[in-house]
Amino acid sequence: MTRPTAWGAGRAVVIFGVLALLPFAFPAAWLVDLGFFGLMYAGLAVAWNLIGGYTGYIWLGLIGFFGFGAYALTITFQHTSVVSFWAPVGALIPIGIAAAIVAVPIGLVLMRVRGATFAVVSLSVLFIAEICASNWTAITNGAAGMPAPAPSIAAANFNRPFYLVMLALVALAMLISWYMRRSRIGLMLFAIRGDEERARGLGVPTLPVKLIAFAASCALAAMIGAVWAYYIGFIYPIFSFSPNTTFAVVMMVYLGGRGTLWGPLAGGLLVAPVQEYLAYTFGNAQFYLIGYAALFLIVIRFLPLGIVPSIHQAWLRRRSGEATPAPGTLPAT
Amino acid sequence: MHLVLYGVVLGVLIGGVFALMSSGLALVWGVMRILNLAQAAFVILGAYLAYTANVTFHIDPFAAILPIAVLMFGLGVGVFYLFYRPLRAERSTLSILVSYAILLGCVGILGSIYSTNDTFISPSYVLDSWKVLGFEVPIVEVVGFAISAALVGGLFWFLSASRLGRAIRAATQNPAAATLLGVRTDLVGSLGFGIGTATAAVAGAIYGMIYSFNPNSTLDLVGILLCIVVVGGFGSLSGAIVAAVALGISSSLVFVYQPVWSGLGFYGILAVMLLFRPQGLWGVAQWRVE
Amino acid sequence: MTRRPRILAALLTAIAMVGVAAATLLTTASAAAPVKIGISLSLTGDYSGIGVGELQGYKLWQTYINSHGGLLGRKVQLVVTDDASDPNTAVSNYQNFITRDHTNLVFGPPTTLLSAPAGLVAQRYGYLFPTAASGSSLILKERLHNFFLVQPAGPLQTGTNWAKYILSLPKSERPKTVAYVALQDPFLTPATQLVKAALQKAGIKTVYTQVYGTEDQEMQPIVAAIAATHADMVVAGTQEDDCFDLVKAMVAEHYNPKYLFFMNGPGYPVLFPKNVGKGNTDGIFTALGWWPQEKSFGQSGFEAAYLKKYGGSKANISPDAVEAYSVGQVIAEAVKKTHSISNAKLIAALHKGTWQTLQGPLTFGSNGLAKEGLVLDEWINHALVPVYPKRVALHSPEIPKPDWAG
Repeated sequence: MTRPTAWGAGRAVVIFGVLALLPFAFPAAWLVDLGFFGLMYAGLAVAWNLIGGYTGYIWLGLIGFFGFGAYALTITFQHTSVVSFWAPVGALIPIGIAAAIVAVPIGLVLMRVRGATFAVVSLSVLFIAEICASNWTAITNGAAGMPAPAPSIAAANFNRPFYLVMLALVALAMLISWYMRRSRIGLMLFAIRGDEERARGLGVPTLPVKLIAFAASCALAAMIGAVWAYYIGFIYPIFSFSPNTTFAVVMMVYLGGRGTLWGPLAGGLLVAPVQEYLAYTFGNAQFYLIGYAALFLIVIRFLPLGIVPSIHQAWLRRRSGEATPAPGTLPAT
Repeated sequence: MHLVLYGVVLGVLIGGVFALMSSGLALVWGVMRILNLAQAAFVILGAYLAYTANVTFHIDPFAAILPIAVLMFGLGVGVFYLFYRPLRAERSTLSILVSYAILLGCVGILGSIYSTNDTFISPSYVLDSWKVLGFEVPIVEVVGFAISAALVGGLFWFLSASRLGRAIRAATQNPAAATLLGVRTDLVGSLGFGIGTATAAVAGAIYGMIYSFNPNSTLDLVGILLCIVVVGGFGSLSGAIVAAVALGISSSLVFVYQPVWSGLGFYGILAVMLLFRPQGLWGVAQWRVE
Repeated sequence: MTRRPRILAALLTAIAMVGVAAATLLTTASAAAPVKIGISLSLTGDYSGIGVGELQGYKLWQTYINSHGGLLGRKVQLVVTDDASDPNTAVSNYQNFITRDHTNLVFGPPTTLLSAPAGLVAQRYGYLFPTAASGSSLILKERLHNFFLVQPAGPLQTGTNWAKYILSLPKSERPKTVAYVALQDPFLTPATQLVKAALQKAGIKTVYTQVYGTEDQEMQPIVAAIAATHADMVVAGTQEDDCFDLVKAMVAEHYNPKYLFFMNGPGYPVLFPKNVGKGNTDGIFTALGWWPQEKSFGQSGFEAAYLKKYGGSKANISPDAVEAYSVGQVIAEAVKKTHSISNAKLIAALHKGTWQTLQGPLTFGSNGLAKEGLVLDEWINHALVPVYPKRVALHSPEIPKPDWAG
């Protein structure tokens, strides 16, 4: 396992330090709200990247687990009307573990297929989850939705603790993502992405490795979903299991840089707040779908590697006048 | 028993229309290894074109099918050259995302042109029905099924008997060899894509007479079409047809007994399929006409 | 190196001066400053059908109130943003209204799915939260004191007057058997169950009950099953889409119940005949809050302004616009009564008393829901006519239903 470099660790401390100070420097609720959603998408993007980036599997069911977490938190606390802010936060770890446990059998079925079939079938995880949440009224209250626990925090600083908890989850996601890259698991995942058959031939235990990454991805998404439910206060199946959220996350990963460490984080932090800000400032989101689509098509067409690797390469090229790294090597951080 | 039979009859009719929708998806996958989620958007686009033809130009929606097919064929070729041809590496996985972006764009554009309220193509005979095997069956479903069946049959004939069809199949089975033999794979691919788009739009025009729709109906359709293609076996035309009809029957049967859960019926088949036959009904390494 | 701090200092001074100037402007101008009202509407996405209609109503109300002295002499300025039918955006929008734009008031978004989370934001800041078309029994029961649904009935009361009307008939004219169908929906399903409970208690036999999952269902099998029971009456807890499909399936099946009631769908004066065929509308009942013929508060002014601005005929007026306009009316009256635009005072005032609207007088109880009940409308001679209760009826109900035109 590679040791963390002082430069890498320092960069992480600075970035997360600045993110943690932001809600104190700019306490206006609307700004912290913007930051909260930026972090939420960033965390989901990092979680998606564990599968979609590292193994190359187009994993479209992630938001199924996001919704799972949202409902897990809401159902757990449904009979508690006013709670201490920290009680639901304490439930995050059990929710993450539960999601990982649920993920294993689902992963076992999904991992029987690859490529486009995997993408399609993983998307059906999302649809099935949505149908269950809509129709299993005894537990989820169906389409009528459920109120999440409501903490008694003064309005002025209501958003800040949510922001900080979400930031902590993003940090956890980054830590897992970093660990996976640097450990043997990461090497094995990239080997699977390169050529799964060959990796297996070389003795890589492909299924267990994929399952570990899959369970981690699902657990993170569930915890993020739980915080989202807690923040937004009222959840419905259609919004908890939205295919649009799924594709927004995937797009952010591609924009930032698929398979990289910092790319998904950058993609999430950039796209989500900018979109919300523009939508509000210009009053009318008439063309937001078209804008999203256009942005994605442009990214795929002109920045196939994503922002972070493109910048990194430009920087490398300037330094050494050298071309892109050979295919099959680890993508840039 | 009467209701079960009725469910089967309606399921077959609807399944035929879904078969037409998904045949294009299977074709495009087979030829180009492109998974075109935007197929669902082309279906709804076709429905809106038929709607406009009917409301604005007073053209019978069934008569509008031919011009719509020509128009959408052109659109499909254009979309292929603009968005899919540039995809070289990881084409099949990237195509999923690109096509979803196209789908979102279509939903956005349709939403800003038409209202997002539900609409419906209603020629004068839309409410009439015929007695088929003692059941009241809406005329549009019968005619729609007949057209769908004819088109799917035509597609089979085209792929197996015509020269272009054989070129498409050659490009499918061995792109490298096909190139050597002088088959221009890009051209063939764009034609295949155009055909897929046109069939989607025609199916959409029929769909729009049977169901109410709005731009967001696209998202409901995506899940259904994808299930059909997976259960049928990727790229298999016959598999898609069998799966589509099975979908129609199973959902209308589940609906008779348990409407709330009818949406899960087909996903149940999907899950069983994954466990016991992950390659799908007709799934094979190479796409072929069977 | 020495130049940079100086530029910075100059910049900071400039910013500070602008800030001070702005602050003075604000304080001196506050007497005449407009009353800003933030409204997040779904102008795109799933609920844009309702959102666009509501926007018409709010704009008409703004024009009206500004030409009639505004609110306490201050002009009304609407801050409208699109939430794209997305709850995250709606939640962000209300935080923006309150903490960024400092709007004086906010009005709720057009659907419960958005107003539940958005209402929590408004409540956190002590803002009044009136909505034109959304109410969730859950939020009302549990926490939202600031929430008011400006409609004559709560969301579960859609069918109450239909049950009352049926039970007002002499025993011989009542239906003997009923089939109930309902969309799986937070309001329509329980609202249908309420009708069923009331009718069953009076001894009207239930022969069929079915709840279906989505609006885009194949209705033929359901209708065939109902037809097999020969039920006298069908009570359907529908949205628009499924209502149209049910009617079409009944026509195709040649099944003509004597009494036919839909919760939503027939109330759309243009869409309904367009979808089911003009000849097939007669004898169908629905429940509505408002109809174009009514002589109610502000009606003539509203109608004229609507037709002038958006064209069409009386029958085309969007019910969503009417409901939104009513929100404005209620707020204007409450402001006048309390001589204040303080949210706390308005909330307290609205829980008491009766308020005049286009939809008739409304009394909000402690839970923010009016109990007036919806009006039953029937299609008679290809037109939608209020028929029950008597005090608002323009025509007496025509039963049994004539046969389908086909």
